[in-house]
Amino acid sequence: MLDVALVSLIQDMSEKAGVEGTIQYWARVGESLAKRMGKEAYMGWPSFNVALREGRTAFSIEGDVTALTDLAITDADGDVVGYIYALKECVFVPTILRIRYSVGEVPKADQAVAEEYNSSIRDTAVCNFCVIHQRFREEVSKNITVGDQPLECSQLAARGFTGETKIAEDSLKKIGINPEYVRSLLRNYTCVYAILMRGARLRGEEVEE
Amino acid sequence: MKDKDERGTTLIEDNPLVDVAAYLFLEDIADKQGAAGMNTYLMSLATSLAKSMPEEEYNTWEDFLEALRKGESIISSFEVVKTRTENCMVTQECPFARGWMEYTQRIGSFSNVHYDVAEYYNSNVKPGTINTCCIIHQTFRNAAAERIKVGGKSLKCAQIAAIWSDGVKKIAPDEWLPILLDKAKITRTELNMILRNNADIFVLYLE
Repeated sequence: MLDVALVSLIQDMSEKAGVEGTIQYWARVGESLAKRMGKEAYMGWPSFNVALREGRTAFSIEGDVTALTDLAITDADGDVVGYIYALKECVFVPTILRIRYSVGEVPKADQAVAEEYNSSIRDTAVCNFCVIHQRFREEVSKNITVGDQPLECSQLAARGFTGETKIAEDSLKKIGINPEYVRSLLRNYTCVYAILMRGARLRGEEVEE
Repeated sequence: MKDKDERGTTLIEDNPLVDVAAYLFLEDIADKQGAAGMNTYLMSLATSLAKSMPEEEYNTWEDFLEALRKGESIISSFEVVKTRTENCMVTQECPFARGWMEYTQRIGSFSNVHYDVAEYYNSNVKPGTINTCCIIHQTFRNAAAERIKVGGKSLKCAQIAAIWSDGVKKIAPDEWLPILLDKAKITRTELNMILRNNADIFVLYLE
């Protein structure tokens, strides 16, 4: 109920504070959520991936996240520095359905916020809620270490409720993953992202240089 | 999704991340606007939600109760409402509880601001809330009731008692309770019995 109430105010917020204002609000919510969830440390990738599978990491709040362990990200030396992760269902979908059955239509500001985010920050949002959880993931990864190395998160692809997709080709190039492969993952998942060791020398970056 | 067979329809569960994010958003508002500002914000949030939903009209009280039980009325859009008498309504599970449990599990204790704002509401608007969720919920129900007509008369809603997930109860003040129980057609003992395994008890009646 709280989610539907809040969405009913997106339009109002966006009219009063502008869509830029809504983006700032949402980004702050994502940051605050990540900060308040505390720090985590894992011995290595297997223990992190097990924790993720069992719903024990901060990332698990989003729902059913799968570690695609066949998609290891390696650095220039061939060492594993991260993996690709995929969220089964977008966190905003239940809210969209609840709005559909109670209020009717999702406010137009939803797409206006996503479009503004795509043009001013990063072209990766399919709805307004992407602002919160993409920022959340970025911030939460700073609080997690794997083998004493802090992490970073990179948004790779998302599929919206009506089927539209956003693929972050630059990020995929850096980690050396074919965009078409990630596009095919969107058939089964709604959001795909990479978690990797911060500052790792990636193969894709080496090629660029 | 969660089946609610007593309704014959499906109640879609919200994602906890969205709920927790909403709580944090409200805390951000409270930091900037204080208890009074947040209270106003919550009430307008709930009122605008109710106003965004279609109005309803029923020929008879029985028609209305049937729609309520089936989850077809605004009042039962977000929760399963059961009828103890023809005016006494109960909900077994608070629609905010899932988000609150996720918050306490992932983040820690619920921020005090949620209780402070409820105290403000209790002393300045109407006594009966435990935390900010109750402000939204009760304001929503009152605003939703105003959008419903039964036999041409406006529906009214009054809160009798709320019990939060941690067991904290808030019962209507002693001077109001006999009138409310009379309207609900239940006794004080029955109220105590209902309180054991329900989250909210309220009365619906015609003007």
